[in-house]
Amino acid sequence: MKGSLYALVYAAILGSTCALLLTAAASFTAPYKQANEDAEENLNILIVLKVPLQADVSSKQLVEIFETNVREGKRGEATTYVYFPPEANGQPRAIALQFSGPGLWGPIKGFLALEPDMKTVRGITFYEQEETPGLGGEIASSWFREQFEGKSIVDENGNPGVIIKSGGEPTSNKVDAISGATMTCNKVEAMLNEAIKRIRETE
Amino acid sequence: MADNQRPACVSCNTHRLCGGRGLLTLKQGAWASNPLAIQVLGICSALAVTNRLENSLVMGGALIFVCVGSNLLVSLLRKRTPHRIRMITEVAIIATFVIVFDQFLKAFYWDMSKQLGPYVGLIITNCIVMGRAEAFALQNPPILSIVDGVANGLGYAVVLAIIGFFRELFGTGEIFGRQVLSGQWYTPNQIMILAPGAFFALGIVIGVFNAIKGPEPEEKKP
Repeated sequence: MKGSLYALVYAAILGSTCALLLTAAASFTAPYKQANEDAEENLNILIVLKVPLQADVSSKQLVEIFETNVREGKRGEATTYVYFPPEANGQPRAIALQFSGPGLWGPIKGFLALEPDMKTVRGITFYEQEETPGLGGEIASSWFREQFEGKSIVDENGNPGVIIKSGGEPTSNKVDAISGATMTCNKVEAMLNEAIKRIRETE
Repeated sequence: MADNQRPACVSCNTHRLCGGRGLLTLKQGAWASNPLAIQVLGICSALAVTNRLENSLVMGGALIFVCVGSNLLVSLLRKRTPHRIRMITEVAIIATFVIVFDQFLKAFYWDMSKQLGPYVGLIITNCIVMGRAEAFALQNPPILSIVDGVANGLGYAVVLAIIGFFRELFGTGEIFGRQVLSGQWYTPNQIMILAPGAFFALGIVIGVFNAIKGPEPEEKKP
């Protein structure tokens, strides 16, 4: 009995000490981690807006490029990131918006960039996804993402929405789905359409 | 063992802190019973992170840090730790060191942290660290346990660096991201970057280590 009590006290002290150390480490590194995550998000936005970048930019340069080229704005409830190149005299060159939603295994998050006409897709990225590698995970591959470029986010009748589906008549707002990843494609389609609806409503 | 019966240290010929077994411990851990090449432990991470030399070095550094830290603490606490909860004590100590290292990477070495992904966190379950704590630090004084931690961490790191070097060299023709083998006559062999290349490289390294070391002496049966 005495032994058990000692073990219990020992475990409690050890556990609290470790917890204390971890808390200290976590709170010490928190601001640095936050800065890294911000830089990462900036990088994703810059990539989807197709802002010219050198291959290996530092986090500091990234923030600078981001601040000179991109302005955050609001459209209804959606936050937009608008690309104003300094040489273009205040003419926007592209607009990016975030989309997110549940995937098959975990959350999917990404950015959709549109041309200034607010109809044509300039690019798309998925920066967070846990889909099945080789099937749903292919949404992050370039062949799937490049399909979207130049597509329209409205159909011929002007109704907002994109379609991710294989086969059938090719239309201006349809891209091929990934075979074997119907669930992922349906979910991506749904979250894209929700984001598109939000941005089109404000027109 | 009484103090005067203890053999003098092979390296310094005195009865110093290491208990006269410092050099032997170092040699054992880093070479004679190398955790990767001889004991074949910690294979998972060795296969996963060795596609680039830089990754391999950081991972090796992480293991040295964790091994030294956990060995030291386990050894310091060895007389106070209740026998029944010694394993959970070891895991708690190891986990603390691993997470501290992981946080450090995430704060100051973001790209590397992303490339290593979950494998830094998985050091917690690395058999080498746990094995050294359980088999060595629990029975030995702190200084000697540090030596053992360095030795085993080094043994792991060196093998990782060797594998990483050859995988990056043959897989991309680069070392530390710099072109070494000219693209004019060398076509990078993609398989070395992918998982099968890791198995080939590790197998060859283990084979070479065992060939140099010679066959294991047969255990004498009583």
